[in-house]
Amino acid sequence: MNIKNKETPIWVLIAILWVVIIFLGTKGHFVIGMCLGVLLMFLHMLLGVAKNGVVSKKFLFYPMIIWAVLWLVSFILSGYWGTMFDGVMPSFTILGFHPSFAPTVFLYWLGGQLTLNLGLYLLPDEWLSDAEWKEFCDKAHALKNK
Amino acid sequence: MSTGTIALILSFSIAMVVVSFLIGIWAKKKATSAQAYFGATGMFGPVAVGLSSMAGIASAFAIVGVPGIIYSTGNPMTFWMLSGAAFAMSYIILGKRMRAMAEVAPISSLGDVCDVRFNNNKLIKACMSIIICLGCVGYLAAQISAGSALIANLVNIKPIVAGLIIFGLLTVYTALSGEVGGLLSQAFQGAIMVFAGLVLIIAFFAVTGGFGGVLEAVAANPTVTGATNGVTKEFNPNLLGAWGTYPGGISLTWMLIPILGCVGQPQVLTRMYAVKNPKDLPKAGLVTAITHTIVGFLAVCAAYGAMYLVATGKIEPLAKADTAIYAFADYLGIWAQLLVYAAVLAAALSSASMFLTSSATLLSKDLTSAVGIKIAPEKQIGVTRVFMFILGAIAIVVSIYSSEMVALLGTFGWGTLVSGTFPVFVVGLLWKRCNETGTLVGVAYSLIFNILPLVTSFKYPSTLPAYFITSAIAVALTVIVSLITKKPELNKETELVMDL
Repeated sequence: MNIKNKETPIWVLIAILWVVIIFLGTKGHFVIGMCLGVLLMFLHMLLGVAKNGVVSKKFLFYPMIIWAVLWLVSFILSGYWGTMFDGVMPSFTILGFHPSFAPTVFLYWLGGQLTLNLGLYLLPDEWLSDAEWKEFCDKAHALKNK
Repeated sequence: MSTGTIALILSFSIAMVVVSFLIGIWAKKKATSAQAYFGATGMFGPVAVGLSSMAGIASAFAIVGVPGIIYSTGNPMTFWMLSGAAFAMSYIILGKRMRAMAEVAPISSLGDVCDVRFNNNKLIKACMSIIICLGCVGYLAAQISAGSALIANLVNIKPIVAGLIIFGLLTVYTALSGEVGGLLSQAFQGAIMVFAGLVLIIAFFAVTGGFGGVLEAVAANPTVTGATNGVTKEFNPNLLGAWGTYPGGISLTWMLIPILGCVGQPQVLTRMYAVKNPKDLPKAGLVTAITHTIVGFLAVCAAYGAMYLVATGKIEPLAKADTAIYAFADYLGIWAQLLVYAAVLAAALSSASMFLTSSATLLSKDLTSAVGIKIAPEKQIGVTRVFMFILGAIAIVVSIYSSEMVALLGTFGWGTLVSGTFPVFVVGLLWKRCNETGTLVGVAYSLIFNILPLVTSFKYPSTLPAYFITSAIAVALTVIVSLITKKPELNKETELVMDL
């Protein structure tokens, strides 16, 4: 996927997102703010993983999109069960956790590890291959020696 | 605590400080160039970098303060402590470009990266250096204060004596070996924290039967009053839910700022160019994530463990929430006390050495060059060593004698660093259209609005923490002003790095 000419619109969107998230957090709509936070982080990663504007589709799907879905589901479920059991003890648990906290443990924490950390470890070439690094170093040294 | 226990804890603590000192002294021979001394640039593999990053991030506050916050207000803080995904995110966002900077220019500090990207713009560098320095000195003071109080309480000596011995030694080895010794000793201290974390997490499950056991105990005993101390602990039904007892905006802040803001922390940014090869960053990310997971989970387990012990009447409700981890360790016995004290001291030492090097480098190298003071390259290491000794001594004395100053500096932390680094490094290295005017407006806004609340009664009209709002507005201003002002002409080095 090529985002070379979309970098400026992405940055405008990032700026808008920061401000909108602050507004939503201030007004108490924090779950929506957290979901928009996922989009904000996703856009940063999109820009970071791009190689001269080109994003690997493989890396985009896993880890990035899967990570985003897990975190969105996590915040939405926490919001749903948080509202359901607001002020009362929950009538059930998920593997011993409060239902609204379980998504934090399984999707936010462990899900984040199994997507972003493991994904970057398993697919390092989609982020930066040896050949690309070597080519970069050659150009950098040529530039230095000019 | 018995005399034997105190002697054992003290012996272990002394051994850890001595080993850290010896590592630092040994590393001195490797700190032969400015790049090695200031940045450990391109010198280390993924395990050392990963462990030291975790140790730099996990401060004494993470081990002591966080369990207290979870004990008293519930789970919002777990968003922060269970943020292991942040490291891979940081490396994905900025890792290769930050490391690449070290190939196109002699990079030894964050100021050097700023110089390459923004054509030696002194104002940007000065604003950024002051903001990062405020954050680093704040962290440094908090570590010294916590570490000195820990040992002083244990052996009944004056905190200044404990501070001068422990952090005096730390200042000596950090000043002599720079970032090389700092990184290696942090890796060692990180390993101790991980070991302590593993053992205490296992103990938590053995004692409570797991999180279900805690929830059952809390549900069965919503109010507990201590028979001896008279303290009452109310277990609010929301305490163990995702949002705890704080307003939801706190969960939003404590999710977004630690995760995305991780890429704006000096202890993460500088480690990106400390790796030998950028291909080591994914491995370093995994090491950091696993070790951070263990240490973060330790803090959560300690808080839940204390809740369980209080709810089941095994200990009295805590008079001070910050004692949660100690109360849990005291119940477990001498081996747990030993590990907790070791972990707290290791966390304080690792973060202190990290922030001592960062502050001294910023003050003696980046800020001086930004204000036009030229120091000959061959004299730079010597000058920074002197700065480090002076800064270390002042920090020890001020941290121990001025609790007001520690509290004041404590307000500059993670969020302050995010607001100072995002416009320069994140926007700067990811967006070619980002120009000097936009970045200057962004960092100047950050600088003013980090300081303004301290000297005036200024408050944002929001319940969200000020650092969150300042960071958001700084990024937005950087983008908007860059867009409406002249397109920048990038130098070839920056162009090459940004195309990687």
